[in-house]
Amino acid sequence: MTPLHSRRHPVDDALEANELFQRNGWTDGLPIVPPTEARVRECLDWVRLAPADVIGTEPVRGVAITAEKLAVNAVAAGCLAPYFPVVVTAIQALCDPAFLLHGTTASTGGSAIVLVVNGPIRREIAMNARDNVLGNGSRANATIGRAVRLALVNLLGCLPGGLDRSTLGQPGKFTLAIAEDEEDSPWAPLAEERGVPAGASAVTVLACAPPRQVMNEWTADPEEILDTFVAEMRANMLTYSIWGGNYALLIPKQLRDLIAAAGWRKQEIREYVHRRARVRRRDWRGAGKAKLIGSGEDDREFSALESPDDLLVVAAGGPAGGFGAVIPPWFGNRSRAVTRAIGLCVEC
Amino acid sequence: MPLIVLDPTLESTPSPARLAPALRSLAGVTVGLLDNGKANVTPFLDHLERFLRIEHGVSGVVRGRKTNMSAPAPPALLQELLACDALVSAVGD
Repeated sequence: MTPLHSRRHPVDDALEANELFQRNGWTDGLPIVPPTEARVRECLDWVRLAPADVIGTEPVRGVAITAEKLAVNAVAAGCLAPYFPVVVTAIQALCDPAFLLHGTTASTGGSAIVLVVNGPIRREIAMNARDNVLGNGSRANATIGRAVRLALVNLLGCLPGGLDRSTLGQPGKFTLAIAEDEEDSPWAPLAEERGVPAGASAVTVLACAPPRQVMNEWTADPEEILDTFVAEMRANMLTYSIWGGNYALLIPKQLRDLIAAAGWRKQEIREYVHRRARVRRRDWRGAGKAKLIGSGEDDREFSALESPDDLLVVAAGGPAGGFGAVIPPWFGNRSRAVTRAIGLCVEC
Repeated sequence: MPLIVLDPTLESTPSPARLAPALRSLAGVTVGLLDNGKANVTPFLDHLERFLRIEHGVSGVVRGRKTNMSAPAPPALLQELLACDALVSAVGD
């Protein structure tokens, strides 16, 4: 059996293990599950990786993340072994240079990382895509997102006030992982639209500002429904960042059914939102940012999306209610959403 | 029977970067000033350049500016800065 290389810490019991983690700043403030060798090996065996296999290398600082260290953090976050393929794939996606992991985790902008999971693995590990999808309740959702955060803290040094300079941060930095409701969606899954073969499991990562909830229960017109989402996107452009990038829309069943009844697919949604989610430079005056408007710039137009494909449309949420969400990007297009298929072998 | 838990941190952090030896004097040397593109960095570096030239006798200054403040400087810019004896990388906001 390949030996594990992590330093071993003897403690009296699980409560003392938690105290050790709290004392050393190895957690997010919440209690941890003791990462014992047996639990860590269970994760590694599940994905058939050796302890020293490199899952990914953070491109700016050149820090390699090994399977063993990622498994230690996944166990500490509360993950069960069958969740580990999602965590591994999320880290692979985060290490894609296009994601700009160092910039987004170091920024004062307070970004979190939202994970959207597609494919059969969602059901195998009982990820939630429906009621309270952005909230509490699912062990898989909660611990997978948390595993990614603990890995950033412990392996990349993303400690608040250290490399993580978020002015405010956001609740999503504890955990933010959801599944798409593929079974009750009239549309192609997000990962499939982003190039992953149909039927494969995949993870999409997006560096994001906090989700902004919207509501419209007074129309069946797809344009009016989407105008509500667009209004929130415009507000975000004026109050947070005017630059275009990957926005995600979470559309619940009640609104999906109405939009789909009009014959709209995700493509039509993307094209409509791309045309509509725009502001003029002068609109900044109403948001207290008049000083940023140069002479002759009043009519300059800014688009939330550089192209329709920048919009990530996700079917998610409980069956009742016209409540959706806009998840804005962390400062425009500096970080790009990345989608990776889940596989058993990192070298394949 | 005590419980053994594994350390969740990197433990060994072989850094690809290291600090160059400190210069004995700034007189006659060339200093690189890397602007990360944030709004207040340029005036800060303008002041610093004057200070270095007048007060410390710095003979050459190479100014560089990143186009993406959140990403590393592009290789061509880094190559240009390699010729400097010292570098100031400003991250003001």
